[in-house]
Amino acid sequence: MRLRIFTYAVLVAGCLFAIFPYFLTVLTAFKGPGQLSETMPWEPGLPPSTAAFERLFNSGFGGYLVNTALVTAGITLGQVVFAILAAYAFARLSFPGRDALFWVYLSTLMVPPVVTMIPLYLMMQKLGLVDTWAGLMLPTMLGTPYAIFLLRQFFRGIPADLEDAARIDGAGRVRTLLSIVLPLSKPILVTVTTLAVVANWNSFLWPLIITSSEDKRLLSVGIALFKGEIGVDYNAVMAGSLIALAPLLVLFIVFQRFIVRSVAVTGLK
Amino acid sequence: MLRRAPRRTRRIGGGRQAAVAYALLAPSLVGVLGFLLAPVVIVLVLSLFDWKLLSTPEFVGLANYQRLFTDSDVWHSLLVTVYYVVICVPGTTILSLLLALLVDRKLRGMKYFRALLVIPWMATPVALGLVWSWIFDPGRGALNQFLGVFGIDGPAWLSSPVLAMPSVAAVHIWQFAGYNMLFFLAGLQNIPRSLREASSLDGASPVAHFFTITLPLLRPTMLFVLITNVIGSFQAFDTIFVMTEGGPGDSTEVATYLIYDEAFRKFDFGYASTISVLLFAVVLIATISQFVYFERRTTYEVSG
Repeated sequence: MRLRIFTYAVLVAGCLFAIFPYFLTVLTAFKGPGQLSETMPWEPGLPPSTAAFERLFNSGFGGYLVNTALVTAGITLGQVVFAILAAYAFARLSFPGRDALFWVYLSTLMVPPVVTMIPLYLMMQKLGLVDTWAGLMLPTMLGTPYAIFLLRQFFRGIPADLEDAARIDGAGRVRTLLSIVLPLSKPILVTVTTLAVVANWNSFLWPLIITSSEDKRLLSVGIALFKGEIGVDYNAVMAGSLIALAPLLVLFIVFQRFIVRSVAVTGLK
Repeated sequence: MLRRAPRRTRRIGGGRQAAVAYALLAPSLVGVLGFLLAPVVIVLVLSLFDWKLLSTPEFVGLANYQRLFTDSDVWHSLLVTVYYVVICVPGTTILSLLLALLVDRKLRGMKYFRALLVIPWMATPVALGLVWSWIFDPGRGALNQFLGVFGIDGPAWLSSPVLAMPSVAAVHIWQFAGYNMLFFLAGLQNIPRSLREASSLDGASPVAHFFTITLPLLRPTMLFVLITNVIGSFQAFDTIFVMTEGGPGDSTEVATYLIYDEAFRKFDFGYASTISVLLFAVVLIATISQFVYFERRTTYEVSG
């Protein structure tokens, strides 16, 4: 009994520590300039003020939000679809060079993205894609080796008999993939999609390098450039951070059950 | 990890199947070979050139590497990076393991505690960096105001060369402890029930049981967590970019930041590539040595 109370106490403390920056962000974002200096960080500003948000949206922040949502959706869709195709080929088809190629894919997991930044930038320059949507999305949207690896492992666990039956009935590879394999793969698809959404929404270094015009600016770049552009206007900075943090937070609360379960799947067995 | 494909599928029609396979692989081949592997080759080639913006690339052999070895900025930033890794990796690993042991127990509402602890992982690092900069703000920041309640005069966390790095690293640990907890939790739950409960019979203390039974059985998870965290923290950039910009002085100028600075602010692509090669080599050595270390001590099935 004492042990249980102790466990709960530590857990509550840990969880408070994990989420207090979110509380402070919400509180600060809804304070007016005067309230910021009059109240303690952990006190709400009364009445709540949306001045900071108005200031942000007047300076083009709505556009960043739309850009980020669209780019995240586009890259994620590409990554998931192309990873499914590749993973299915690796898991189910036999073709010359398959095993060697799979090892090549796996080995690229060890390449730190920052190492590829300069060559990618120069490649995009050669292709005339600097400061374009294509340049922003192309390098990552064709499938990530990690997603391909996770999907391949899962596909291999699905009994081949199920597919053979469908194929005897005359279904092609693509039909089998769509009607047999994918419906059985929901858990891993949730995992792969979640990881992709989080990574793409949060992505910063590549957008910072490859885009320069304001109409292609993403949230992450927008708020990072804040400090320089509006100085230490903490209300606006916190409001901007909240706009960047909130969508994933909502997504997490809605899909919390699946996400917690699915992230653990990605560890080595 | 790789098993041969079942023979019978081969009989269905080798050539056609290969054609289908390569059609399915085509997009990812462009992505992996073109945008992951080719850049590695290109960065190696670039490191042999003197190339600043607008100038024509000029082959200089190993001159960039000579410069690298005598460049105290590079070695300082490598040291700073290692310092960051040395705080972040053990900090995150130990904290996440402790959290996993805590949430492994069957108690009411446990799944909500688990979920809450994972939330920081999803936070946009740049936004998070700004939030924490404000928490660490010496005047009006939450931390020093909070300390002030107890009459403590808090330091200027991010503008002190001594405190800046631990502060930035603390944010990394805060962000990833809950996430890594999930891997340890999965590892703990894979341990057979008979082994989990053995201690109560043989009378061993829980601590002894943890070190002699649980920890060795968690080795595969440990390897995964260590490797992903080492690779991840060697590449720290986003939070540092918004929290300290490498400062004060150059006390938080990690390797990634230096590469960014050389390439995209000074436009010295050749030399920046050389530093990238160095960073890649360091990450590779760190990763492989962990594999070797663990390989010697465990035999487990990596395949799925």
